[in-house]
Amino acid sequence: MKVTLNWLKQYVDFNWSSEELTERLTLLGLEVEGVQKISATFEGIVVAQVVTRDKHPNADKLSVCRVNEGTGERQIVCGAQNFKAGDKVPLILPGASLPMKPGDKDPFTIKIGKLRGVESHGMMCSHEELLLDPEAIGHKKEDGLLILRTDAKVGQPFAEYLGRSGSDVVYDLEVTPNRPDLNSVLGIAREIAALTGNPLRIPEIKLGEASVPASSELVASRIEDAELCPRYTARVIKGVKIGPSPAWLRDTLEKVGIRSISNVVDVTNFVMMESGQPLHAFDFHLIAKSADGKPTIVVRRAAAGEKFKTLDNQERTLTSEMLLIGDEQKGIALAGVMGGANTEINDQTVDVLIESAYFAPVNIRRTSKQLGLRSESSYRFERGADVGICDWASRRAAQLILETAGGQLVDGVVDGYPSPPPPKTLTLHFAKCKDLLGIGISHADQVGFLSRMGLKVTHQEPGECTFSLPTWRVDLKREVDLIEEVGRLYGVEKIPSTPPRGEHGSNEFDTVYDQIAEARRILTGLGLNEAQGQTLIGKAEIRSHPPEEVIALANPLSSDMDALRPSLLPGLIHSLRHNVSRKNYDVGLFEIGRVFSSVNGQTKENRSVALTLTGQRALNFWSGDDRDAKADAADLKGLVEEFIEQFGLRGAQFGKRAGSTSLFLESAAVTLGGKLPLGELGQLLPTLAKKYDLRDAVFLAEFNLDQLLAKRNPVKAFKALPQFPSSRRDVAMLVPEAVTHDAVLQAVKQAKAANLESVELFDVFRGKSVPDGQKSLAYAFTYRAADKTLTEADVNNAHGKVLETLKTNLKAELRA
Amino acid sequence: MGFLNDIEPLKQTALTEFKNAADLAALEQTKGAWIGPNGKFTALMKQLGTLSKEEKPAAGKLINAAKVELEAALGACREALELKAALPKEPTDFTAPGRRRTLGKLHPLTQVTDDIVRAFRKIGFAVADGPEIEDEYHCFDALNTPADHPARDSQDTFYIATNAGAVSPSPGEAATAAMAGEGGRSSLLRTHTSSVQIRVMEKQPPPVRIIVPGRVYRRDNADATHNPTFHQIEGLYVDKNVTVGDLKGTVEFVFRELMGSDVKIRFRPHYFSYTEPSYEIDFTNALVKKMGKDWLEIAGCGMVHPQVFETVGYDPAVWTGWAFGFGIERIAMLRYGINDIRLFYENDVRFLKQF
Repeated sequence: MKVTLNWLKQYVDFNWSSEELTERLTLLGLEVEGVQKISATFEGIVVAQVVTRDKHPNADKLSVCRVNEGTGERQIVCGAQNFKAGDKVPLILPGASLPMKPGDKDPFTIKIGKLRGVESHGMMCSHEELLLDPEAIGHKKEDGLLILRTDAKVGQPFAEYLGRSGSDVVYDLEVTPNRPDLNSVLGIAREIAALTGNPLRIPEIKLGEASVPASSELVASRIEDAELCPRYTARVIKGVKIGPSPAWLRDTLEKVGIRSISNVVDVTNFVMMESGQPLHAFDFHLIAKSADGKPTIVVRRAAAGEKFKTLDNQERTLTSEMLLIGDEQKGIALAGVMGGANTEINDQTVDVLIESAYFAPVNIRRTSKQLGLRSESSYRFERGADVGICDWASRRAAQLILETAGGQLVDGVVDGYPSPPPPKTLTLHFAKCKDLLGIGISHADQVGFLSRMGLKVTHQEPGECTFSLPTWRVDLKREVDLIEEVGRLYGVEKIPSTPPRGEHGSNEFDTVYDQIAEARRILTGLGLNEAQGQTLIGKAEIRSHPPEEVIALANPLSSDMDALRPSLLPGLIHSLRHNVSRKNYDVGLFEIGRVFSSVNGQTKENRSVALTLTGQRALNFWSGDDRDAKADAADLKGLVEEFIEQFGLRGAQFGKRAGSTSLFLESAAVTLGGKLPLGELGQLLPTLAKKYDLRDAVFLAEFNLDQLLAKRNPVKAFKALPQFPSSRRDVAMLVPEAVTHDAVLQAVKQAKAANLESVELFDVFRGKSVPDGQKSLAYAFTYRAADKTLTEADVNNAHGKVLETLKTNLKAELRA
Repeated sequence: MGFLNDIEPLKQTALTEFKNAADLAALEQTKGAWIGPNGKFTALMKQLGTLSKEEKPAAGKLINAAKVELEAALGACREALELKAALPKEPTDFTAPGRRRTLGKLHPLTQVTDDIVRAFRKIGFAVADGPEIEDEYHCFDALNTPADHPARDSQDTFYIATNAGAVSPSPGEAATAAMAGEGGRSSLLRTHTSSVQIRVMEKQPPPVRIIVPGRVYRRDNADATHNPTFHQIEGLYVDKNVTVGDLKGTVEFVFRELMGSDVKIRFRPHYFSYTEPSYEIDFTNALVKKMGKDWLEIAGCGMVHPQVFETVGYDPAVWTGWAFGFGIERIAMLRYGINDIRLFYENDVRFLKQF
């Protein structure tokens, strides 16, 4: 909503600077989004009189003039020929600029300078230089200077001579949707009046004697759907002359961003901006007459599929939910949204019908939304107009039309208002104000604030007061709304802050939040950077889930963001691509976030943690044979093991999958105890890596974080440090390639060797002296008892069992 | 007695030879030559027997002292040579970069969220959580945002396709039909964390004192200030006798914790359907002034609307409360001077490592 300082001052007195007004409006809840200072038009241009005109000594076509500009005379060199001494002309003074033409980058600023050796202290102007149409301002069009009327006052600012306004400030205000009454200059003035206590000056309307027959003899109205149109008024003015608006009207509208069209249309727009009430003007003679010889305005629902051409010349197809204004034959306006092309005001219009009505907000909103057609009018009606102001706005428009377009008012109004609602009332309990705002405001002040807003006291008792609500305050619905108003006028800045107090909160998620933070800390400690990926990804990127498990958006913005991620991995792969394409080849990332899937038609949402590695294993270094080594599956496995263990999970098992998957070249499912799935890890298919321009092998892992949270045992308990020494036995053996580390551990477990403390794989070797299809594994076995030092015999006995089992169970060939 | 006069010169020669030994082997050799069984000094001690009874004690003392001195010097020389031997062949350049181990970094949004959460926890707030796929009831209706409220425009909200396979990917009529859902409870991506207010109040009787960090979604094309996914944090406090003064006190505390003690806070009346009165919060500090502005809008807040309490079954005559919420990206952008929200979601390691 745009409003200007000068316009506001017509309705209320205040002596704030423009900065102060910005501040006050903002603190009232009318946030000022923009302030535009308009300097007076034609600044530095004055009415001047030519005193003498002499030939230029050095140029035939120039003359040297003495010119009086009110405060004194100055010398001007001029090239125009159409003037003589005694003529009054616009003079632009040095330092001032000519109005900018479209396409100008910088204004043309006048300087004192020499023309062919003679100084000139300013410039006398032509109408072209001032961008004026001389005829539109009542002057003769001629080549050369714009010659002003002889009665022009020398020294008068030129803008004033033209009847144009001086400087002004345009405020662009953000009006919250609950306050439709503030979409009007009067509404904003009312706020200022309430704040200052100064009276609000609502323009008085004197329409004088109407000499022609009453409106009711010329027009009738029939409201067929009073629910959608509780009130419809029509008023007729005869004999207007359509033409351009006077300067003040054009100027006022243009400052608030409304294009001037014609006097009658401009008046309806002006009154809408002034009062918030959208009006529409019809050409009375284009409304079809009924059988009785006078037109009937019918307010009805459109027929389904009815075609209607709005005045933007678009043909619209209506539904039976849409409200249409019509005569007995056709639609003439799309109620509250836009008038029809068939009855629009035009140059030939002589009689005008002014519509001022109230339409139900929800219906206007739906119509406007469905047709994709928004207007200043629909904007106001859908937020809730003031049913009480219809007639005032209509009379105000009539008054201004008579002033600007002439004509004669037809007596009275056709006002269809079948069931005016009883005035609404609300009761304020004074004590409640303190309960909610935290500060005591005197009862008198509470009543005072609300009265200044236009609420009327209907009943007062000690402790409470009942108000009848003005029709424009559609936002006031319950007591708390009154308290809000009191607080607003009192000033929220005056409410003292109370230090935090009260009971401590609790929520079951609170500890989960900390556990997730712990997971993050472990992963950053392992050297991974935390990523945050998009929740919305492209369906085409999803390889981990079948399409029926993917949750799609009904109204996506684009096909690369049309589904909810079922896994964090596609996002991480994207982040890798972003990095690698910028030559960040060595990347380790993790993400913790939600993933979504559809299981048997039910949407499922769970937390997930994923990590990825690509590129060099370690940071760049300047020495060492393995400094360029790339990360491999064992790096990933090491990260995963450390993370899972540090997070408090024991007994995770890694079951290798047979063959590749749609995502992984080699991968393993991670389970707890072989049963409960926790997640997976593996190497990205090189074909996919290539597709995403990833240079090195990419390793990925993802776990269901909710599952990890449920199964972790973060309890820490002290275990006494060993008191007695340990004994170590190393074993190297040849086993078939298919024998896994896990198989070795299983076999060792079966041996049930006494006092076996740990088993550690310390070498895997293939090559020289190891037959094809076999590998050499070297293990260190540590034996220790808690209560004594083990003897050689004790250890040999236990270790012998281990060796036997390895030989029998794994067909292991023990080496020296 | 002549040999007594030899002690001092012999000792001095031995000391010099010890010091001049080039390595441990040479030192051991020198040691043998002087204090070994056949060493020159050992020989001197053997002459002690030739002295008279009266002369012996003084001479013995003298020789012993010299021997102790020689052994000490030997030990010192040995240690010095051992250290010399331990030095690496190539000298270490301590100015050269080391073999670094890296610590990963928490995402800047996580760091900011953690700071906000820490500030709230200091004053007794617990962290709460809720689903990101919501229904219209929790996201809008229960928050006093009726069906025809502008906030419910589908251009702002992402709706979940009811039949994942059957929906045309282009927004339009087909999408509208799919959005209708069952019983008006279509699934959508929550547009704000305020939906969690409702979920918590439905489950938990008052008093309530929670904060809710989380992802929210708006149907905005990505640009420097928009991403369809972003983060909010919501605070809700419900108790007896809670007032606007409490709201102001808590907001001021939290922002001082977050932005420093020079921060100034301003409350400005505003409108949200689920609070009454409602305010927007502006802040200012040296940074804001440096940006050439007087105030920057940072959050919205207000007293919980009695309609919301009635909806969740709290008695508004007994309980009052406030809620406030703000965008985490915005705080992070202000704090670190980040000018493009998309950087948060690209995960460029050169970006992530800066925080």
